[in-house]
Amino acid sequence: MSLEHDFRVIRAAARNDIQVALTDRVFFFLGLIIPLNFLFVFILFALSGGLAPTAIVMNDHGPLAQQFVEAMRNSHSFRIHVADATHAQRDIEAGDIVAVVTIPASFDADLRAGRKVELPVLVNNLQTDFTNDIRRAVPLAITSFYASAFPDQVVVQAHEVDLQPQDTDYVPYLAVSIVVGAVLITGILQGSIVAAREYEANTIKELMLSPAPRWTLAAGKVIGTVILNAGAIAVVTGVVVLLVGARPVHPLELVGLALLTMAAAVSIGILAGTLLKRRQAAIPLAIGLTLPLFFVSGPFGPANWQGSVAGFLALLSPMFYAIEAFQHAFHGYQTAPPSLVTDVVVLTGFAVVSIFASALVLSRTRVAH
Amino acid sequence: MTDYAIELTGVTKRFGDFTAVKDLTLRVARGEIFGLLGPNGSGKTTTINMVSGLSQPTTGKVSVLGHDMASDSRRMRRSLGSVPQETALYEELSAEANLRFHADLFDVPRNDVENRIKQLLDLVQLQERRRSRVSTFSGGMKRRLALARALLHDPELLYLDEPTLGVDVQSRRALWDYILDLKKQGKTALITTNYLEEANTLCDRIAILDHGQLVVEDTPADLKRKYGDTVIELELDPAPKAELLEELRRVAGVTEVTQADGLVKVTVEGEHAAAGDVVTLVTRSSRLVGINQHQPNLDDVFLSLTGRALRD
Repeated sequence: MSLEHDFRVIRAAARNDIQVALTDRVFFFLGLIIPLNFLFVFILFALSGGLAPTAIVMNDHGPLAQQFVEAMRNSHSFRIHVADATHAQRDIEAGDIVAVVTIPASFDADLRAGRKVELPVLVNNLQTDFTNDIRRAVPLAITSFYASAFPDQVVVQAHEVDLQPQDTDYVPYLAVSIVVGAVLITGILQGSIVAAREYEANTIKELMLSPAPRWTLAAGKVIGTVILNAGAIAVVTGVVVLLVGARPVHPLELVGLALLTMAAAVSIGILAGTLLKRRQAAIPLAIGLTLPLFFVSGPFGPANWQGSVAGFLALLSPMFYAIEAFQHAFHGYQTAPPSLVTDVVVLTGFAVVSIFASALVLSRTRVAH
Repeated sequence: MTDYAIELTGVTKRFGDFTAVKDLTLRVARGEIFGLLGPNGSGKTTTINMVSGLSQPTTGKVSVLGHDMASDSRRMRRSLGSVPQETALYEELSAEANLRFHADLFDVPRNDVENRIKQLLDLVQLQERRRSRVSTFSGGMKRRLALARALLHDPELLYLDEPTLGVDVQSRRALWDYILDLKKQGKTALITTNYLEEANTLCDRIAILDHGQLVVEDTPADLKRKYGDTVIELELDPAPKAELLEELRRVAGVTEVTQADGLVKVTVEGEHAAAGDVVTLVTRSSRLVGINQHQPNLDDVFLSLTGRALRD
């Protein structure tokens, strides 16, 4: 037993898994399809849920009416299109839009005369999330319109000081979290498959009857699976960079973090596969484990903003540290108190602990000869 | 250095309330081919698991090549080769890739790997298929490859679990030849089998297990001699009288005498010397027209010891 033999086993186990996986087309495509699917589903979710489709019926085309429409556009709450009353009514009845805002014919004249203006807002209140968006956003648009059109009348103004050097749009922020989710779900899934396959094919006996230290077998599997999935993660990251437009501020840091996060995920997957010994059990567990972890780890904003309980739960999830670290690599900021070093140490810890836990399970595994 | 490759002393293995192996004591000498025989569920696999370090005995001690398997099993594995029943080959990979992986796991010296792989593929006649996927191999070819893999790191001791199960007759003969060659190389082999003919051909000694207990342990020849019956069929002219049949029944070693269809059937314990006495006695009063002797086999031994055939 020597260090040289340990490295030889790690290399051999990695090569063996790569060779086996390359003969398995399903495994290969799973590695690509799952993260891409994950990415597209969540981006569609973000796009569909972000802005309320709204029609504006402009019975007055005066400058103040135009200014009001502009204020609505700038509120980041509506996806606006201008329509006549008939089309707008047809669209809301067809369920194509959430609301119809009608600008009355006397809008400009009434405002200039200092008369009260009533703004009809027709809302399809079948779902309160969108309804409340409209209820919040219309008064906000009115206030911001007033501040812009009649600056002398609105004397209270917010003086914003930004913590970050630049704003980050919702979708680029979320897309980074989704990349992490994709890395985690793919890693856990593929790791569990690689481990469980040894039991199903009975090749576990070849490993168990060998003098190789168990941790070297687990470590080799982690490395092999990370290499196999590196291409898929590069594709997903490429989609986020090219299509979503999120450019990493620290590209090399991103590469390192992607590999580290994948290693942590694969290690957890290998532990799950070693414990369960069957792909049929490991695959649903991998998916069932990853999705709650994703939602509790602050994918839509810093985890602490979800409340203290959710914030505490997030601290237990590797995905929380990975999302933080990835946001740093993409946008250059830290989303919560732990530093990047802490994130890296915790992710490394997850990987190392899972590898040695897998080794422990392997050394206690009893297989029929 | 102990003379024994394997020593089991008072070994018991329990799984909850079920006792798979009970108070088993066995010794396998170095250089010996030793067979473990018994029906399914007799404790063979549990025994071989404990010997290969895949399982720990509940009580008792297992030593392999002089080392305690409870504390030293991983270090000992380098000296052990194994041909599991299901072969445990990576079916998606080539024969060569399987052997190369094994060489890495068992730390076969790098400069020796190519040579060893070539040598062993030659031995098991798979050189031409070295780059073929194992999934394209027949059952016999897989078993030959598994044997080559087990020998790759030059182990002192080999376990072969049902080495010819499901293999055609031709491949079985070839595998037997390889296993018998191991003995010439001074290696020790522990074989489990359900095939009595296989045990008879390959094994120097045999242990029969039943319900987790050792029923008997001896060489195949001694087992047959002690526990099998020889049947002598005699054709006599004139037909023997009742008095002669009574005299035959009184001969030491004779257990049964019957007469039917002009033949006298005399059953003699084992390969008892009584056969000569029987012939001498009958030729005093009759002319011996014909004689036929049925030698005992391991099936008879197994039946005699356990009261059932091996595959019941």
